[in-house]
Amino acid sequence: MDPIQTVHVKLMASDLLSLTVWPSNPPCFTRKGRPVSRAETVGMVVSHERKDKFLRFLVDDGSGCIPCILWLNHYCLTSHGGSADLNLMAEMTLKQSEIVKLGELVRVRGRITIYRGMLQVTVRDVVVERDPNAELLHWLDCIRLAKQCYDFLPAVTLPGSVLNPPQDGSDR
Amino acid sequence: MASSVNIKPGIPVVLQELEPSSPLFKQGASLRVTGKLQAYGVETAIAVITDGGVGLKIDTQHLRDISFRIGSIYQFIGELLIQPENDAVLQARVGRNVDGMDLNLYHQSLHLRRQFELELVNSKAN
Repeated sequence: MDPIQTVHVKLMASDLLSLTVWPSNPPCFTRKGRPVSRAETVGMVVSHERKDKFLRFLVDDGSGCIPCILWLNHYCLTSHGGSADLNLMAEMTLKQSEIVKLGELVRVRGRITIYRGMLQVTVRDVVVERDPNAELLHWLDCIRLAKQCYDFLPAVTLPGSVLNPPQDGSDR
Repeated sequence: MASSVNIKPGIPVVLQELEPSSPLFKQGASLRVTGKLQAYGVETAIAVITDGGVGLKIDTQHLRDISFRIGSIYQFIGELLIQPENDAVLQARVGRNVDGMDLNLYHQSLHLRRQFELELVNSKAN
């Protein structure tokens, strides 16, 4: 498995929103041929809509607006009596939903999903960044990681690589 | 405010770039601007921010939960309204205090980021 498939890749919104979508069930996403499933973004909250079961908000990083959804289902479940873990999870999610306010600089991590044909991030965690330089450092991280890591196929999957020689012994 | 995917991103710019000949200086352009608060009118809700000797008026009437302190650094996202004689006002949708931001780092990071975005667009075009 490609290692970047299991981590939160740091991508600018323009990069994230232009991932290639493969119509499987669930859908798969690739960037320059490499599969990605989770993303991390930093930006300003420019819109938010709170419902009973979810909080939907947009994160603007200057290159695009990423739709994010934070499900609050755990909270609904606990009202009918849930486990201690579920209660804790519900409490954490509720706290996270309360910190997302218009104009806040937030760091969001989560799964990349699709809703009505549009890419979005299903939030795993969201934090408010107090240091305004955090966003600049995130930009630099995105650039560095793209150039030094994400743009390259891992050696193990390169055809003819020394780590992945042809099985038939031929010299392709 | 209801969430809408039609909201355009505020393209980060430095105030010196906002001159009439610039392609960013367009009616309704969605921009993100950063600068030090020079003046604020409580009655008009107009703030003036400056950076590198250039100022810009910000209409803050739609902003809530933000207090203005002269000399502090603020960042706003909104749409540019160009009035007669190229008098520009940014109608802010969101804003925040960014005291502590290293403006030198901001300018350098923005430069690198633009280069990267250009490379990304070119790589997708090929």
